[in-house]
Amino acid sequence: MRQPGRISVPFSYLDRQFADLDPYIDDLRDFVRTGDFTLGRPLVEFERRFADLCRAPHAIGVGSGTDAIILSLKALGIGPGDEVITTPTTFIATVGAIVMAGARPVFVDSEEGFVIDPSLIEAAITPRTRAILPVHYTGNAADMPAIADIAQSHGIHLIEDACQAIGASIDGRPVGSWGDTACFSLHPLKNLNVWGDGGLIITHDADLADRLRLLRNHGLRNRDEVVLFGGNSRLDTLQAVIGNRLIREVDFITGRRIAIARRFDSAFADMGNYVRVPARRPGVKHVFHLYVLRVSRRDALLEYLLERGIEAKIHYPIPVHLQEAARSLGYSEGSFPVSERDSRTILTLPAHQHLSDEELDHVIDTVRSFYGKG
Amino acid sequence: MKVPYVDLITQHAPLKKEILDAISGVLDSGQLILGEQVRRFEEEFANLCGCKYAVGVNSGTDALVLSLRALGIGPGDEVITAPNSFVATASAIALVGARPVFVDVRPDMNIDPDQVEHAITPRTRALLPVHLTGKPADMHPLSQIANRHDLTIVEDAAQAVFAGYHGRRVGSLGTAGCFSLHPLKTLNACGDGGVVTTSDEILYQRLLLLRNLGLQTRDNCVVWSGNSRLDEIQAAILLVKLKYLLDWTRRRQANAAYYSEYLSGIPGLTLPIHDSREEPVFHTFIIRTGRRDDLRDHLARNGVGSAVHYPIPIHLQDVARELGYKAGDFPEAERQASRILSLPVHHSLRQDQLEHVVSVIREFFDS
Repeated sequence: MRQPGRISVPFSYLDRQFADLDPYIDDLRDFVRTGDFTLGRPLVEFERRFADLCRAPHAIGVGSGTDAIILSLKALGIGPGDEVITTPTTFIATVGAIVMAGARPVFVDSEEGFVIDPSLIEAAITPRTRAILPVHYTGNAADMPAIADIAQSHGIHLIEDACQAIGASIDGRPVGSWGDTACFSLHPLKNLNVWGDGGLIITHDADLADRLRLLRNHGLRNRDEVVLFGGNSRLDTLQAVIGNRLIREVDFITGRRIAIARRFDSAFADMGNYVRVPARRPGVKHVFHLYVLRVSRRDALLEYLLERGIEAKIHYPIPVHLQEAARSLGYSEGSFPVSERDSRTILTLPAHQHLSDEELDHVIDTVRSFYGKG
Repeated sequence: MKVPYVDLITQHAPLKKEILDAISGVLDSGQLILGEQVRRFEEEFANLCGCKYAVGVNSGTDALVLSLRALGIGPGDEVITAPNSFVATASAIALVGARPVFVDVRPDMNIDPDQVEHAITPRTRALLPVHLTGKPADMHPLSQIANRHDLTIVEDAAQAVFAGYHGRRVGSLGTAGCFSLHPLKTLNACGDGGVVTTSDEILYQRLLLLRNLGLQTRDNCVVWSGNSRLDEIQAAILLVKLKYLLDWTRRRQANAAYYSEYLSGIPGLTLPIHDSREEPVFHTFIIRTGRRDDLRDHLARNGVGSAVHYPIPIHLQDVARELGYKAGDFPEAERQASRILSLPVHHSLRQDQLEHVVSVIREFFDS
């Protein structure tokens, strides 16, 4: 029998991922020598690789996943007076981005897989609705065929928040291929990460790609001519140097995370109401940026796990519509029952690619032992 | 002889090891977002400027945008600034939903305080003077105007880190000071970065929220905002470079002094001037001549890089059409735009390069 607390299972994996810094530092040594720091050649290469990975013609590197959404909305001309439909089951940045573009977020509840419930979208559409912004939350693809149909039949835009979902697909079709644009984050704890903030936008529309490039770089058509008030949101070329190395590992990382999720799924399949594994939609390649379960006595389990060295987390305990920032939007407790119920029962287990089998077993054993199923 | 206008390669060659060590240190800490390096950089930068607080953000543009938003400036408001800045100054105003209102500049290229009052309306909320070229705007009269009309002053100090005005550093002369850490600035990240200085605690707290998605804690979002954080890695690089800032600044000033001495007395050539109580830092060293484009060609033919900051005043850009300005509205800024030329002045210049620049220019005007 293993002694409690002997193994620690961290949520962050940066120390393990970058235990050997040498190859990265070698790349950076070559890079710093060039002085090519702004919209430089390694960035162009990284954008090309990322576009290929997503099977899209255009990728535009920006300052963050949040900025990817803000710039997408602006590029589509969405702003004050417009409404954008999304779900309260997301990181607040999705909604902050809509407000930063000047538009009003309109929420639709989420479903079993922590993604927007397509059957509820049409009821939320008004004459002011300009876009639907589904979130591939936790790395699970929202039901894009259904959502794209709705967007098309109402003549409104579709922007995919794929910040957590690099590599996800539906029946082999990658996320990001349904939307006017799709937005990705390269934050240090994402499946494809860099060493600071960064984001990318992909699009199949060349005009939109041109406009996004203007918006990220002061609206400058060339060094001296300004065609729009754009601001500055460029993916640092230094981060692209790191990205160029890490992008080769995305398939491995995704595969490992999926394998870990399968292991957890089957280990908890018999836990009844104590631990409910979300139903996995057939045909969906879920990339498990976050491995989230619905559990009973959540807060007690969280404490139990933390005491035993397992760094579980909650993403997130407060749905976005109940945040203080959301008061002006006029929602209240009860507005989105699924999202609210989930916020009280969800728990994220460490499930990253650098965990050993022993550590995974420790997580499984500890969760089971909490419910007396050890 | 080659004299590049900017030379990031020469600047970084002797720093490479220190920079790579600093980056490794960040990775060893496991904290890549808003960690100890950003905190230390903010503390040192605030001290440098004589302010209580500094907040690291993603760019100089964001420094302006976040400052204006933190001050509650938005749609329906007007902000007065100069038309001869980099476009980001005006963009920041437009991006928060306010209206940029331009006032012409003086021969020193900074906003003319005597013309500011004519531009004030009931909707004016702030003055946004630009310390263009690294020379402080004339802040005393601007402060008096701001006090009289109950306006806030936000300094655009993007080009002016460590510049002095009547014994104080820029960034401490208004309610907020906005700095760029772009690679072409004297204190430069190896990528985008910016920082806001202030001594107002409420503004400081608000800026901390606005740069980080409005998050008061991990789980509580109290105000909608985006993400504009100075990267931890860039902060570590900047801490390396901060040690050299004084030296680099002195060298720029010495280069400028050299040009001023050896280019003086040339008919048709105007040199930058400053008041003895101002300490400009020469982000750019801008000369003026009616034969600007010919001189620029002549310099290029002789291996000397130069630049024009900026050839089109903001009010005459495509983007400004919606603001309703036209040619002739700001005669001094427009006249300067056709005559200004920035000479290489960076701290890596050698004496023989400076001499070469001077002799090439003298040769041009002698012929």
